Amino acid sequence: MINIKGVSKSFDENKALDNVCMNIKKGSIYGLVGANGAGKTTLIKTLTGVYKQDKGSVRIAGEEVYENTRIKDRLIYIPDMLYYPTMYTVKDMARFYKGVYSTWSQERFERLGEVFKLSMNKRINSMSKGMQRQVAFWLGLSAMPDYLILDEPMDGLDPIIRQKIKSIIVQDVAERQMTVIISSHNLRELEDICDHVGILHAGELMTEKDLDDLKSDIHKLQIAFKEGVPDKLIEELDIVYSEKRGSLGLYIIRGEREKIEKSIKKHNPAVFDMLPLTLEEIFIYEMGDLGYDIKNIIL
Amino acid sequence: MFHLDIKSRLPIYEQLVKRFKELIINEVMKADDQLPSVRILANDTAINPNTIQKAYRELERQGYIYSLPGKGSFVAAVAIHKNKEKLEKLKEELSKMLSEAIYLGMSSKEIAEMIDEIESKIKGV
Repeated sequence: MINIKGVSKSFDENKALDNVCMNIKKGSIYGLVGANGAGKTTLIKTLTGVYKQDKGSVRIAGEEVYENTRIKDRLIYIPDMLYYPTMYTVKDMARFYKGVYSTWSQERFERLGEVFKLSMNKRINSMSKGMQRQVAFWLGLSAMPDYLILDEPMDGLDPIIRQKIKSIIVQDVAERQMTVIISSHNLRELEDICDHVGILHAGELMTEKDLDDLKSDIHKLQIAFKEGVPDKLIEELDIVYSEKRGSLGLYIIRGEREKIEKSIKKHNPAVFDMLPLTLEEIFIYEMGDLGYDIKNIIL
Repeated sequence: MFHLDIKSRLPIYEQLVKRFKELIINEVMKADDQLPSVRILANDTAINPNTIQKAYRELERQGYIYSLPGKGSFVAAVAIHKNKEKLEKLKEELSKMLSEAIYLGMSSKEIAEMIDEIESKIKGV
């Protein structure tokens, strides 16, 4: 269980986090999304105890995280920019991790070696970007953490390795109730793996929801009527966005699927299609609501 | 056993529910067959175990499966339920096809004749 309550963090004049509250259940895979500079990395660094918050509390399993070695022993953080000591090989790093993490599993480390197929005796800094990232997962997952916190984790990994890593993470969630937080711009990827999503905008957490609820609350509709769209219908619906393509209307509508379906079918539409939105579309429309728009950018 | 359509816009848990229903309605999975455990299905498909759990809960709520504590989830033996769902679906498809046929100029008499023909064929065998 991770609880963040009223957390604010500023760098000089710049307010990076503003009164953020977040609750993440044990065994959950939580996706953190937001525009560039929304504060995702700051939030993650506060969550992992790299930064100290100016205000509020950050608790994991009921304890404050900052300078708390007992919590950090149970936590693996893979940052967006990796760092390895200059001359270290994977073997050296494994020895280091073994000394730091009380739950380090040598057996797991060796088994994962067969998955990643990387040399244990090669200097990590001489490896490619993607390989270095694989090393981070290899080491991190061998420490058998209770909390896995990932900042843009899949950056630079090939599709096969991505799938492998996802599958290992999912196994750890199923078997050991590991809690995972992932921040990413690749919403397609988050959509596949997360059960909860939080949207961060300008340092504030806008929504925090079950992904399926988020998706079942907003719909994309294509409708056409023989005699134009009835005014009464427009009043009935909570329309987020509408667009005309010839006689066909495209609408983004908030609300329950059955209710929307019922009120539209009452008016005998000539064409009626209803689609759930992808996370990417939800993100774009939610952000559009907040004035972070894409359609006004014309070069 | 499961290949979910990752391009589909349907939430994954809804896809899972749909797929299991199909398997149960078409009797690929029979009454009292055990469903794969959440852990095994998560391992096989790399789907979030919480999502699988949710799909199982939904199937149980709708009466398609039952669960025994400590043993797992099993297919429930409720035939009426299955037929009702199947009929609803068929009706929907039929009405779509019939409206197209009528639009293209088929008369209700012709349709009725077709139905009689099909009926006598089925009963004749």
